[in-house]
Amino acid sequence: MLADDFFLVSWDTTGTGKPRLHVRGLALGLAGALIGELVLHQRVIVRGVRLDLVDGHAVRESVADKVLADLRNSPHHTDVRTWLAYLAQRSVAEVSGRLVNSGLLEPENRKIFRRSRSRFFATDFGRAMWPVTRLRLALTRCGPLAPQDMALATLVDACDLTDAVLDDPGNRRAARDYLTTLLATMPQPLRDLSHQVYAAAGDAVLTYRT
Amino acid sequence: MTRSTTRTGAGRDPVAGALAANRLGAPSVVYFVLSAAAPLTVVAGVITTGYAVTGITGLPIAFVVVGVVLSVFAVGYVAMARHMANAGAFYTYVTRGLGRPAGIAAAWMALVAYNTLQVALYGAFGVATAPLLEGWLGITPAWWAVSLVAWALVALLGMMRVDVNGRLLAVLLTAEVAVILLFDVADLINPAASGYSLETLSPAALFVPGVGALLVLATLGFVGFESSVVFSEESRQPRRTVPLATYSSVAIIAFVYALSSWAMTVATGPGQIVATARRDQAETIFLLAQAHLGPVVVDIARVLFATSVFAAMISFHNTTSRYFFALGRERVLPAVFGRTHTRSGAPKAGSIAQSTLGLATIVLYALLGLDPLVQLFFYGGAFGGLGVLLLIFVTAIAIIVFFAREPHGETLSRRLVAPVPAAIALAVMVWLALDNFWALLGVPQGDALARVLPAVYGVAALLGAGWALVLRARQPAVYAAVGMGAKAATAQNAAQTTAQTTAQTTAQNAAHDDTAQGTA
Repeated sequence: MLADDFFLVSWDTTGTGKPRLHVRGLALGLAGALIGELVLHQRVIVRGVRLDLVDGHAVRESVADKVLADLRNSPHHTDVRTWLAYLAQRSVAEVSGRLVNSGLLEPENRKIFRRSRSRFFATDFGRAMWPVTRLRLALTRCGPLAPQDMALATLVDACDLTDAVLDDPGNRRAARDYLTTLLATMPQPLRDLSHQVYAAAGDAVLTYRT
Repeated sequence: MTRSTTRTGAGRDPVAGALAANRLGAPSVVYFVLSAAAPLTVVAGVITTGYAVTGITGLPIAFVVVGVVLSVFAVGYVAMARHMANAGAFYTYVTRGLGRPAGIAAAWMALVAYNTLQVALYGAFGVATAPLLEGWLGITPAWWAVSLVAWALVALLGMMRVDVNGRLLAVLLTAEVAVILLFDVADLINPAASGYSLETLSPAALFVPGVGALLVLATLGFVGFESSVVFSEESRQPRRTVPLATYSSVAIIAFVYALSSWAMTVATGPGQIVATARRDQAETIFLLAQAHLGPVVVDIARVLFATSVFAAMISFHNTTSRYFFALGRERVLPAVFGRTHTRSGAPKAGSIAQSTLGLATIVLYALLGLDPLVQLFFYGGAFGGLGVLLLIFVTAIAIIVFFAREPHGETLSRRLVAPVPAAIALAVMVWLALDNFWALLGVPQGDALARVLPAVYGVAALLGAGWALVLRARQPAVYAAVGMGAKAATAQNAAQTTAQTTAQTTAQNAAHDDTAQGTA
């Protein structure tokens, strides 16, 4: 699933167990990925700032179906930004929960100064590293990407995480050019979605408060 | 009844309910605005140095007048904010009202102004901490050494995005205002021989040569009030919360500064305030208070002065790096300014640029042996304050033009009745400020510095407008999205999609025409 891949890219599950991305960006990126899953399953369509439900049939995956149920219950909310803000409130918990239930991640809860911080460690190194590796190979070799990976690449870029994927700075310029091409050629609903996530992440910087 | 309806409504709409839980009320917005305004920095640093450098005593009435003008300006400002994609920055208003070249010109001016205001604070920090370091550790380090430590902390905190914790900031702000009011009371119950003279609060105090200097200084005190609209999307009832918070902030600032600057003149006597401020500089209010309140209270106040300056440094650092960021996202500045630090989410390039400028300024001032309080803090503040005044004025014009073109469902009073007098008053203020800039710097009339500094904004504006024309010719998609801030990407995307669709439609139509002709 798209959100699982995004989580594995944005969280260092094979090393420190801590997120690579700041909390707000992580939550928004995962919210975008959850909507992206429904776009890929052709349940919703994103056009500009609008999000519309086109098929209410269950995807048969509990997290995605919960999002779908929310969309079904509130058809009057059609603004992508509203849904991103709403889903961002629970996206980290939902997606990490899904990965823990699947057995790929093991959580470790620590309490530091009364704040509990969860860490997640992968049980299978290869599977956990696969999304980052796949993305890195595709971006450095300008290889073809499946729609789900196109969505992943552009969401990762929308959250300013591309540099974390491309650990060799020499590859970054070419990869960025390729990402621009990707964005121009990818299916419109996915492109519009990643633009909305990019805008939401940017606004989160501009209105940041403690 | 209303409450139960609301509750049922929220129950029916879990999305709206969940999003509303996190929203801000007016008091929170006021706190955010005032903590950026750093009241003790203004009272202990700006007001006292203002008396000393300008030699004019009408500051108290200037705060009242500027407060009134800005309140009237705020009517149109908060009304227009409701129709903006990126409400936080003046240049976006100018863009919508007066066009993109004017908008980018304003953006360049704003970058100069806010950067200057930030680096100016490094001049105050050494002065604010000197008595403390001497009292506690018995050392008197050079101002630049202390400022370099502060600079390193600001650079680090800015990059790590460790804003001073909101609650801590609120506690500091409350303490600052409490100390200011306590000092005012002490000043007022111990008047000088001249008694409760209202001379400095009388409008007559404004009819003196160099009054423009006072108006710039007063405007400087209000810097930060414009940020209330940043929280439009995050406030509980944007139509009520944001205007209420803006008017309250302006009123509180006007009251506290007018009272404090007047109380000082009561304690020394209006005829003595300039001489006292020239002798005691930033120590003025502390020495005045020491006689009546004792050393402990005064030491606490000194600590708060230092924390106030430090909080203001961080606040202006973040404001400035976000300015860079918004322009980077619009691609008006290179795209690298629109990227964030992965781990912290801080606007990386903007933060580094701001810090570099700060370091260069401290080093330059130290090498040239310039005075940190007057030539860095006060001149920087005055220069930055002039920039903000110019921006407010241009925004006031933009508001009128914006609503003249399309009422956007706003009432006549918000579109015209308030904005027009505000713009006229601001025009007078700008004219006086430019004409009297020599008085603000404390240099003789006709001095080159008083002409060169304001001209910097003219150059910045020209360069900005020129850059806008370059963008229009070379990057129309970027040009189209100027003023959209972080939402620029979606607009650029829409512009490209429209262009593609138009191209496709044109191609299809051409093909259709060819077929039709072929058929014919």
